[in-house]
Amino acid sequence: MTTVRIRADGEPVPSLAARARDVIAFEWTKLRSVRSNYVTVLIAAVATIGTTLIVAHALASTPALPPGGPVTALTASFLGYAEYAVLPVSVLAVLQFTSEYTTGLIRTTFAAVPRRRAVLAGKAAVCAAAALIVGEVLAFTCFFLTQAILSGRHRGVSLASPGVPGAVLAAGFVLCACTLTALGLGAIIRHTAGAIAATIAAIYLVAALCLALPSPWKEDIGRFTMPFAATQVVALHPQAGLLPPAASMLVLIAWPAVALLAAGTVITRRDA
Amino acid sequence: MIELNRLTKRFGPVTAVDDLTVTVRPGRVTGFLGPNGAGKTTTMRIILGLAAPTSGTALVGGRRYQQIIRPLRQVGSLLDATAMHGGRTAYDHLLSLALSNGIPRSRVTQVLELTGLGHVAAKRVRGYSLGMKQRLGIAVALLGEPPVLMFDEPVNGLDPDGVRWIREVLRQLAADGRTVLVSSHLMSEMALTADHLIVIGRGRLLADAPTDSFTKSSARADVLVRAPRAGELAALLAARGAAVTVEDDGALAVTGLDAPAIADLAAAHGVAVHELTPRRPSLEQAYLDLTATSTDYRAATLAGKPQAGR
Repeated sequence: MTTVRIRADGEPVPSLAARARDVIAFEWTKLRSVRSNYVTVLIAAVATIGTTLIVAHALASTPALPPGGPVTALTASFLGYAEYAVLPVSVLAVLQFTSEYTTGLIRTTFAAVPRRRAVLAGKAAVCAAAALIVGEVLAFTCFFLTQAILSGRHRGVSLASPGVPGAVLAAGFVLCACTLTALGLGAIIRHTAGAIAATIAAIYLVAALCLALPSPWKEDIGRFTMPFAATQVVALHPQAGLLPPAASMLVLIAWPAVALLAAGTVITRRDA
Repeated sequence: MIELNRLTKRFGPVTAVDDLTVTVRPGRVTGFLGPNGAGKTTTMRIILGLAAPTSGTALVGGRRYQQIIRPLRQVGSLLDATAMHGGRTAYDHLLSLALSNGIPRSRVTQVLELTGLGHVAAKRVRGYSLGMKQRLGIAVALLGEPPVLMFDEPVNGLDPDGVRWIREVLRQLAADGRTVLVSSHLMSEMALTADHLIVIGRGRLLADAPTDSFTKSSARADVLVRAPRAGELAALLAARGAAVTVEDDGALAVTGLDAPAIADLAAAHGVAVHELTPRRPSLEQAYLDLTATSTDYRAATLAGKPQAGR
């Protein structure tokens, strides 16, 4: 206690870039320093790859797929990924905010960085980067594994085929889009259980509900949901009646954008 | 320096902080006292920009907290020691906060040593005792070597060693010339630690005075007298101009005459005295008197005469 001295406050004001770096370092350190985050991602990866292998083997042992259907040799690569990677990683993203609100740590966070939108942006940047890396690694892994199994039946798709690299990259991006949607919902709802429910609704259930609708409505509404849009950006031959891939990509960007903008609006208005 | 100017915070119909104007000055420990629910924590949350005031302002070093860049270097705070992620180590908890405010890593190790957590720094916080968490919370507050520090109930749940340690930390910080605001509902603790007291009840300012003058001005000094012929002695004392009140158990509480004078008077009249105890005003008594008369909240919970600390 005897060594502490009052800091002379003659320091230059740090630049905006330096402060952005501070917030990202803050959020990255918090994300990487919790072991259960790694465990969750690891389990998600194992489950994803396992499911992908099962799907690929099942596909390889069936007769040829109906042409023009939603499931192709390419999209089949991501059937496991769409659930076993997307769901657990999205839940992790929800927890980035809700766990801080639940424990009260959010007050320490906001005391350290009083500009709350900077905290939101920092968490979003870190989550986006991590999800993009995990998403792309898993998407390419799932693609290669599936094609390796299907090529034994001469049904595989090559990465060299036109449109395929873009489709696999887009599949990887889907994880990032879902993660950021989940992060925004976590910031808005603040309670873990409620935010997870809302995230599952946003990512899966709205689309599942659309599937139950009669045909013109199913496509008219469904094309604005994340799963329909994800199918379109990954498919080499997009379905008619839904949005084209470019517009579907915008849908995939719009969901997290809206969630994060709404979070940015409410985060400064409420007492922590 | 912390300046509150007409600070008010309402939660629906409840006024948690009511027109509070107060200045917390550097170089001394300022105790922030009040019963549970008096608005201490709410006031601290407003100072830290965590809650928005309904009206009024709270300034730290002349600025609103939200306007401070790298605020951990200006204001250190401990609100809730248990507010941590159990799965993170003390080192990583501190490191993340250090990085958020451009504080060098070496300072993390320094505050860990300073708070005696060096040997458990690599352990996850989940396994920490409350005392260790309090120490970690204080390490967070000290991280940026800030000129202003706030601690909300820092001795809650601590053993005597921990209490003494925190007391020394607070006194040292004030001796360094820092502004130190410590909330507590433990009067006895504040009597030992604080140089200056701010007392609030139901969000209102009740007192803002140096600790010793607060004690003297607010509380009466009296002498407790037990005598078998209490009525007779009371009459004699009253005749000498003393004010006498009869306590619940029949003892006399005498003001206006000191113990030797009472003893002499009793001896001169041949009245036996079984007990003669000068009662010094305690901070606790001063505090209870203050809060009991000023808020109906206290009146409702402390019906009748509060028990005196002796």
